[in-house]
Amino acid sequence: MDGLFAPTAAPTAAPAATKPAPDSPPLRPPAVARRPVLRPEALHPSLWLGHQLGRHADPPVPSGFAALDAELPGGGWPRRVLTELMLPHPGIGELRLLAPSLVAAQRADRLVMLFDPPAALSGAGLAQLGFDVEQLLIVHTRARVIPGTDTLWALEQALKSGHVGGVIAWLPPRLRAERLRRLQLAAHAHDGPAFVMRETSAAQRPSAAPLRLALRPGGIDVLTLRLLKRRGPPLEKSLHLDLLPALPASGPELDFTSAAEAHGLHAATFVNLAG
Amino acid sequence: MGFTLPPSSTWPVEPLGVLALRWRSRCLLLIFATRYSSLVIRYPSPVTRHLHPLPATRYPLPATRYPLPATRHPMRWIALHLPHLSLESFTATLAGASAGPIALTDGHRILNANAAARSFGIKPGMQRATALALAPLTTLAQADAARDAQALTAVAHAALAFTPSVVIQPADARFASPHTVLLEVQASLRYFGGEAALRRRLLAELAPLGHRIHHVTAPTPLAAASLARVHADLACADLTETEAALAAAPVWLFGPGREHWEALQGMGLRTVADLLCMPRFGVARRFGQSLLDDLDRALGRQPDPREPIVLPPAFDSRLELFARADTTDQLLHGASVLLARLIPWLAAQHAYARRFRLLMLHEQRSRRDESTPAVTTLEVALAEPSRDLAHLLVLLRERLANLPLSAPTLELRLQADDIAHRAPPNTELFPTPRSEREGVVRLIERLQARLGPAQIQRIVAVQDHRPERATEVHTASLQRPVQPLLPRAVIEPLTTDSDEALQRPVWLLAQPEALHLRAEQPLFEGRPLNLLCGPERIESGWWDGDIAERDYFIAATASQALVWVFRSRVPLASGVSEWFLQGRFG
Repeated sequence: MDGLFAPTAAPTAAPAATKPAPDSPPLRPPAVARRPVLRPEALHPSLWLGHQLGRHADPPVPSGFAALDAELPGGGWPRRVLTELMLPHPGIGELRLLAPSLVAAQRADRLVMLFDPPAALSGAGLAQLGFDVEQLLIVHTRARVIPGTDTLWALEQALKSGHVGGVIAWLPPRLRAERLRRLQLAAHAHDGPAFVMRETSAAQRPSAAPLRLALRPGGIDVLTLRLLKRRGPPLEKSLHLDLLPALPASGPELDFTSAAEAHGLHAATFVNLAG
Repeated sequence: MGFTLPPSSTWPVEPLGVLALRWRSRCLLLIFATRYSSLVIRYPSPVTRHLHPLPATRYPLPATRYPLPATRHPMRWIALHLPHLSLESFTATLAGASAGPIALTDGHRILNANAAARSFGIKPGMQRATALALAPLTTLAQADAARDAQALTAVAHAALAFTPSVVIQPADARFASPHTVLLEVQASLRYFGGEAALRRRLLAELAPLGHRIHHVTAPTPLAAASLARVHADLACADLTETEAALAAAPVWLFGPGREHWEALQGMGLRTVADLLCMPRFGVARRFGQSLLDDLDRALGRQPDPREPIVLPPAFDSRLELFARADTTDQLLHGASVLLARLIPWLAAQHAYARRFRLLMLHEQRSRRDESTPAVTTLEVALAEPSRDLAHLLVLLRERLANLPLSAPTLELRLQADDIAHRAPPNTELFPTPRSEREGVVRLIERLQARLGPAQIQRIVAVQDHRPERATEVHTASLQRPVQPLLPRAVIEPLTTDSDEALQRPVWLLAQPEALHLRAEQPLFEGRPLNLLCGPERIESGWWDGDIAERDYFIAATASQALVWVFRSRVPLASGVSEWFLQGRFG
């Protein structure tokens, strides 16, 4: 790389030096014009050197975590591509990780869609994360099996339409690579982040998504991320992100005695006579 | 000339005063003769006809001989002639299977044949048996005037978007329908940016109907309609050009001319120019006054008032399928023909369809078949009124794919009467919030059409302390915002620098999951839970019989994920765990 882009002597340098005047000082070696180093990353957004982080033509969406933005190509969640998140099971802080970027999309008056969430969603929980709950659109594609149709059809349509600001989709397990490639092609029209949630074992299989992350809980209110694939050099170390706390900042408080005591007070409880 | 002076020798000698009187009357007579000589002889005699050198149009009459009526309001008539309408309207009923040779018959004669049939040598006018001998696999069908009229009506509706005066050229007394639509566009020229631009847009609007169209512009309706039968694309700027174009046209263009075709041919009168050279009274006596009248109307010498068509208040078009339609694709092909007719009807009144109905008329399996319904009705309601053919077709495809059909379909009908008048959609180059909102509505509509409306949901946080009731799930409606049953809860979003913590997990279990106990400690996936925070007591619901008395805790699983568990305070049966998993902090 260095040899290719190293500064070279300009062949037409200093034409005046070839005809020295008789009373001029002794001939000096021709001056070497310092040509600026050719930087491929300045030529086109799709070009970068191997040791650099890749970039995207579209400005990325800030993830809301400075430590993560520093490691993501371009400095945030990419638009127009799939971002694959591998997690062992739902409920490890994945929505707290994605909430800042999706809330920003909602604030920009754009639609955020959730495809096949694995459990019922709590409106209060989402509202605390900052979501405008009533503007979220939840699509269940697998609730009713329609013969001959594709469970990913709805997601593909949403990505292709280009009118959706952000998408989270929980994909069915053991998805074939070509299905994911179709989604990735559809995502080219999607102006916003598109997150697909997959099982941990999918990390072993190849995927068309240019950004892949493995998530696991790294402690109380801490999420550990490993970047499996990105445009740029591989990242060996894991990232530890402090999530929005679920526990009060004053530290774990636990009052077993009062709970047990209260539990003992059967006389004060309502008895369900109807039951 | 018909007036000659008497020889002067025969004049008697008269007194001067009498002579003066005679002179005066003679002058009057002279003036009369020169002024009205054109009344006496209107057509040049065969001798004078040959005296003039024949120009290229073979029509030697100078325009000055026929003083043209000076119309104060010139008209521009565009005639749209569909030479293959019968064939095209029949092909539409084939529901997509239109590969082989097709010929239309009228009794025993071939009326028209498609390209595949013509390649076998089948020609219009041929005997039916001859055609079958040439190509045994030819699809032979009867021409149907009603079917053609339905297709022609759609063309007329498309033309109504450009001018209110649209006329369907009436059928001749004894001959087939001319399959021609006329529209008078003089008043619309300025708005559409000239005649060429208007014609371009008109043809673009007609393209989805899939017809081959001859289009001719002329100052009179009859000239335009007649010339459209022989010219595919012609524009006559004024009456002189029209006259020249008509003169070169064959005499059978006019209905009465067709009637006397043999006689006219026998007399050597092949073109209209030949006919125009004949004396009027002779033409009228031999071929009837109607031929002369038609000529005069075409040349603008007689008024030709036309009654414009009126748009029906409700759309109803039908398509009888040639073969029974068993599959969705066949139905969809037929429905697309009908939808393509619906769009011009909507465009003519600048309206958008709010809902439309597709009726599928079924074939009864037997005469006493009671189980098969005669008609299946598919009602398609649109969230956003639309007249976009592609969008309507996509919606119909999704709906048809989900519709179980009890019997094959013989006939399709499309009805629409619920329409919305509104401003046309904006056509910006760059996406705007409005165009994006429209796109989102269309996307949701498509998803609902395939997955069912119940699968597209919105949620609302409402005022109830029980977690399973604090979130209401509603079917996403495009027309109005969600109306929750309980008052909405007001929840402030947390910020990263606040001291507050999440009080509710994002994921909830549909049914609280009982946790096993080991040494009084709840287990989760076989490992003990580490209770971190709590209890938060929720006692609620005594009024509706679904009482909840629970102490909630936030606990960490062995893998450090946070879960929300509770201990029920309502006494349960002995041996049943009081600990339940309610949710997870996502």
